[in-house]
Amino acid sequence: MKTRGSRRTTVKTVLVAGVASTMFLLTACSPAGTTGDQEQTDSGGKITVWVDPPRVPAAEAFVTAHPEIETNVVQIDGTVGGKNLQQQFAQFNQAGKGWPDAIFFPSNDDIAWATGAQINYAADLTDDMATVLEGYDPAVNAPCEIDDKIRCLRNDAAPDVFWYNATFFAENGYSVPKTWEEYGDLAVQIAAEHPGKISGFLGDAYAPDRYLWASGCPTNARQSETEVTINLDDPSCVRAKDLINQLVEGNAASTLGIFDADAATAGLELVMSPGAVWWGDYLFNQTWKIPAGTMAGTTPLTWDGESEPSTGNEGGGLWGMSSHITGEQKKNALTFMEFVATDPAWQVELTTGLPGYGPVQDAWIEKQSAANYFAENAATFEAFKEAASYVPGDHAYMLYNTGGIWAETVTPALASGDTFDAGWSAFGDELVNQAKTFGYTVQSE
Amino acid sequence: MTSSTIAPDRARPARSAGTAQPSRKHGQLHRSEARGAWTLLAPYSVLLLVAGIIPVVYALVTAMQTPPTPLNPTVSFGGVQSFITVVSDFRFLQTFINIFSVIIVWLPIMLLGIVGLALLVHASPGRFGGTMRFIYYIPGALAGIANFVLWVYLLNPAQSPIQGFLNAIGLDTIKAVVASPANLPVILAGMLFFQGVGTWIVIVNGGLNGIADEVLEAAAIDGANAWNLTWHIKLPMIRPWIGYAALMNLAYGFQLFLEPYLLDQVASNALPDQWSPNQLGYAFAFSNFNFPAAAAMSLILLVMTLAIGLLIVFRSGIFGEEER
Repeated sequence: MKTRGSRRTTVKTVLVAGVASTMFLLTACSPAGTTGDQEQTDSGGKITVWVDPPRVPAAEAFVTAHPEIETNVVQIDGTVGGKNLQQQFAQFNQAGKGWPDAIFFPSNDDIAWATGAQINYAADLTDDMATVLEGYDPAVNAPCEIDDKIRCLRNDAAPDVFWYNATFFAENGYSVPKTWEEYGDLAVQIAAEHPGKISGFLGDAYAPDRYLWASGCPTNARQSETEVTINLDDPSCVRAKDLINQLVEGNAASTLGIFDADAATAGLELVMSPGAVWWGDYLFNQTWKIPAGTMAGTTPLTWDGESEPSTGNEGGGLWGMSSHITGEQKKNALTFMEFVATDPAWQVELTTGLPGYGPVQDAWIEKQSAANYFAENAATFEAFKEAASYVPGDHAYMLYNTGGIWAETVTPALASGDTFDAGWSAFGDELVNQAKTFGYTVQSE
Repeated sequence: MTSSTIAPDRARPARSAGTAQPSRKHGQLHRSEARGAWTLLAPYSVLLLVAGIIPVVYALVTAMQTPPTPLNPTVSFGGVQSFITVVSDFRFLQTFINIFSVIIVWLPIMLLGIVGLALLVHASPGRFGGTMRFIYYIPGALAGIANFVLWVYLLNPAQSPIQGFLNAIGLDTIKAVVASPANLPVILAGMLFFQGVGTWIVIVNGGLNGIADEVLEAAAIDGANAWNLTWHIKLPMIRPWIGYAALMNLAYGFQLFLEPYLLDQVASNALPDQWSPNQLGYAFAFSNFNFPAAAAMSLILLVMTLAIGLLIVFRSGIFGEEER
């Protein structure tokens, strides 16, 4: 039958073409496997920097201050937890070109792949920026210290302080808690005496930083490039879990996240919570529009039986530099890095986050405190400064996204009225599973 | 073979009435006709090669490699290892369960909606039927994203016109609406239904229009009322179209990506990033840098949708190949 015959010919032709194209692809794509160690290049001085929208003023301030350096500023997607950036860098490595010379990482987790063996983008700054690094409290720049090398610079410090509504506390005669346990009890008491008032947010990706990191719970305990310790049965995790459970059972916390649009209404009912230093200006003042003179920050909470406060950390961006450049281009990129990390033109005049670089912190505090927004203004800024030293170490940024996993497991459980326990065990399972898919060996002790 | 079609794949839907046309002598094809067939086929073949065959072969080659890892950054031949990686991944089964939970809600509603509304449109002659057909088509004419934004307004208790209903069933925030695992299949079913139903009504309506007037007249003369006509004449005759609609929509369901991906953003990341099989493939590629596994995942999906496609071509009867 001719009809069938001609179809068979078509199939044969297509197959031949397919095989031919395969051979072509096989030869064309063979160098695709190479990674990392390309030769360093020098553009002769011109640099390209990638910044997320809030960091555009930093790059512009640099261009103003250094007109002699030809700088190409590229604004990138600033979504925290976005996957596009990773994808682009994987492709740059395949192409062997295209990397920016310096970058502000939109997510802190980005530093994990940027320093990992596959992408290996971020340069070792230990020697090249030694004098700048002297100005950093090692606790503040800890996220950048990877296998004893400094691979990035912290833009701003973002330790949690303890926030409370000073007006509400004064009116009702409550005293500000000093320990995490007192915080849990008081939160439940307030929720019972003033229904609708809340003492925390549990639904955002920073919630595990706020409660689990603050307790030293090993979710991100990096042992080496390929090994991590995850153990949610550790006593430090259990006490944080019990605290959150107490808040949930007592209707004392919102299941929303701080960035949810709906949180703007719930935020006005917030009476106290651990929260990052940037909550003050960004959340309370600009986003939720809480009146001046209401909120105050104080020293982070202490766990029962411990002598020092212990607190989490929410964000606090990182600057990285390319390891693929040399000569004049590298010199200019280093100038850029030093500027954005240390120069008052950005770190004091423009940024709203507490500078990571120590020597400019006082000038920033002086400028910010002039607005007199907080109820206990001086004490609040004092708390800002000391909080960074209370953040437990042994918490690295990993290829898996702990906050993202929290948002996908605990949040839906709470939002659909399930128990916190159900969400917690899903969180633990997913954490281990995700870590394994990235190739980590997971230890549990 | 009673039909005179040359290339079965490209044939327009054969008249189901099956009026026997004078058929050419079995299989005789003139050379000029063959040339014409090749000319018609050529643009499609080029497209198929560039956008179909080559990517599939490339995926096959990639899937047979080992992924570079921090410990072993070189690429070598890995056999079926990446398929094992995909199938044994802890999310693999769950993504298909997720998809099925949507399909089970959506597909029956979709088919009842398509067939029911198409029959109603067909039974309403003149301007009214045409107007209704146009109205049903409107939601499908909105591009995917526009349709999606409308849904976000509808689902967000802070802005929704059905705010009262949402609050009455205890949903106060968009997160509570979207993030509860039990709600998602219903939401997606609704989105997919309104997005697709209009187009399918037009297609099935086309099938109904293909029924010869003489058949309907003859039935009417025999005393069939509108209900008899629908049940005993129209429905059996458009059965191939219904099968076609069912399988095409099933294949579409397997490839869900955009809707769960965007709903996740609306719900402040409260949905799993790897909710559907396609999203899992995306995660293999761009979160785990495991391109072989991503290629293997897409090949698994390809086999499934290809099987559905072959079923449509050879079993639905809509391409007029089978013996009558």
